[in-house]
Amino acid sequence: MSKDGKGVRPVLDWFGMLWDFKWDYLSGAKITVLLSLFSVLAGFILGVVIVLVRMSGFKPLKWLTTAYIELVRGTPLLVQIFIIYFGLTEFGIEFSPFMAGVVAVSINSSAYLSEIFRAGIQAIDRGQAEAARSLGMSKAMTLRHIVLPQAFRNVLPAIGNEFVTIIKETSIVSFIGITDIMFQTEVIRSKTYTALGPLMGAAMMYFILTFTLSKAVATLERKLSSHD
Amino acid sequence: MIEVRNLHKSFGALDILKGMNMSIKQGEVVVVIGPSGSGKSTFLRCLNLLETPTQGDILFEGTKINEKKHNINKTREKMGMVFQSFNLFPHMTVLNNITLAPIKVKQLKKKQAEMVAMDLLTKVGLADKATAYPGQLSGGQKQRIAIARALAMQPHVMLFDEPTSALDPEMVGEVLEVMKSLASEGMTMVIVTHEMGFAREVGDRILFMDGGDVVEQGTPEQVFQHPQHSRTRDFLSKVL
Repeated sequence: MSKDGKGVRPVLDWFGMLWDFKWDYLSGAKITVLLSLFSVLAGFILGVVIVLVRMSGFKPLKWLTTAYIELVRGTPLLVQIFIIYFGLTEFGIEFSPFMAGVVAVSINSSAYLSEIFRAGIQAIDRGQAEAARSLGMSKAMTLRHIVLPQAFRNVLPAIGNEFVTIIKETSIVSFIGITDIMFQTEVIRSKTYTALGPLMGAAMMYFILTFTLSKAVATLERKLSSHD
Repeated sequence: MIEVRNLHKSFGALDILKGMNMSIKQGEVVVVIGPSGSGKSTFLRCLNLLETPTQGDILFEGTKINEKKHNINKTREKMGMVFQSFNLFPHMTVLNNITLAPIKVKQLKKKQAEMVAMDLLTKVGLADKATAYPGQLSGGQKQRIAIARALAMQPHVMLFDEPTSALDPEMVGEVLEVMKSLASEGMTMVIVTHEMGFAREVGDRILFMDGGDVVEQGTPEQVFQHPQHSRTRDFLSKVL
């Protein structure tokens, strides 16, 4: 099976085997990263909207967003993905696997992110908003210039963690045929008739992504807090 | 300039203000004193509606401001407020702290707002701190910046809510100096404070509050030398 023609490689020659399949892993990693990135971005925007609606004080909308958050957090991501991909076809809504993945994961992370934002906003001292309002700034201006920038900085590590979580959680999207790391791993497994090696490769790919990301967030966090 | 009629404020079952009446004239420096929990701060915070009165009227320059249809933001532009805990914006430089509201609310050009800010910083003796962040300043410096920030909106009246209570003793003087010079320029001021010496020196009128209402008021001479009410005497005997 190896390219040098010296016959079947020993089972434990993992690294040689992983190297052979490096392009499969990398194309899987590209899909995983793109899916996670789009989902975090969309989830971020949706999460901000949800938290603003929730804190607006308009009761019916508040209940609606609370129900949304509880439902999304209280059901498995896999079920949500299947509903978006298979379930919605009954209403004539058809997504490509990748789009279905982005929509489902975005919805899922928006619920978690909005709770992170809420905690971040509530952690800002009330005096900050009072000072801004006492200068004649409107509620919206106060939110935009005073509360949200500080809240964002406070929750940045938590957002980074959510990104890391999403990268790991998206490993189930291979169920609907998205060609992410896990999907490629299955392909490699079926090609090599081995399990441990390809799975170790998958673990390594995920770990490289999440470890790099956590370090990047930590660096950014240090930079932001340096002038406090 | 400010008129308060039958002002009530309660938090749940707790009545903090019980029907206050008072008025403040243009250019007057009114110092509010009284024991903790007497409603001084609540009264001050009602003046710019940081607390919504439960009942009663607040008139500012002839307009009733505690009405739904009244645009309170417009009124607040004319009422500067200084807080006990400074409440500077920690994510902005000193200069941006001061110019933010003039630029966003009054639509001042950035250059112009910065000129105003630098004048005010010079006035409070902190021109060299323009590019510093609040976290790099002492308490006294923070409070002087907070005063400059409020003044940048060119308010008609300044409200001070225990401006020196959170300060180390050696920094109280520098903040009181700034307030004194402000008073001497004819600024209308309402000051809640525990600094009795300052109250006596700067106040045109002393307001003694207890139990959610004004118990006694008059010139510093009247209130401090010849208090009429037993509660006033009692309070003064403890703090002087």
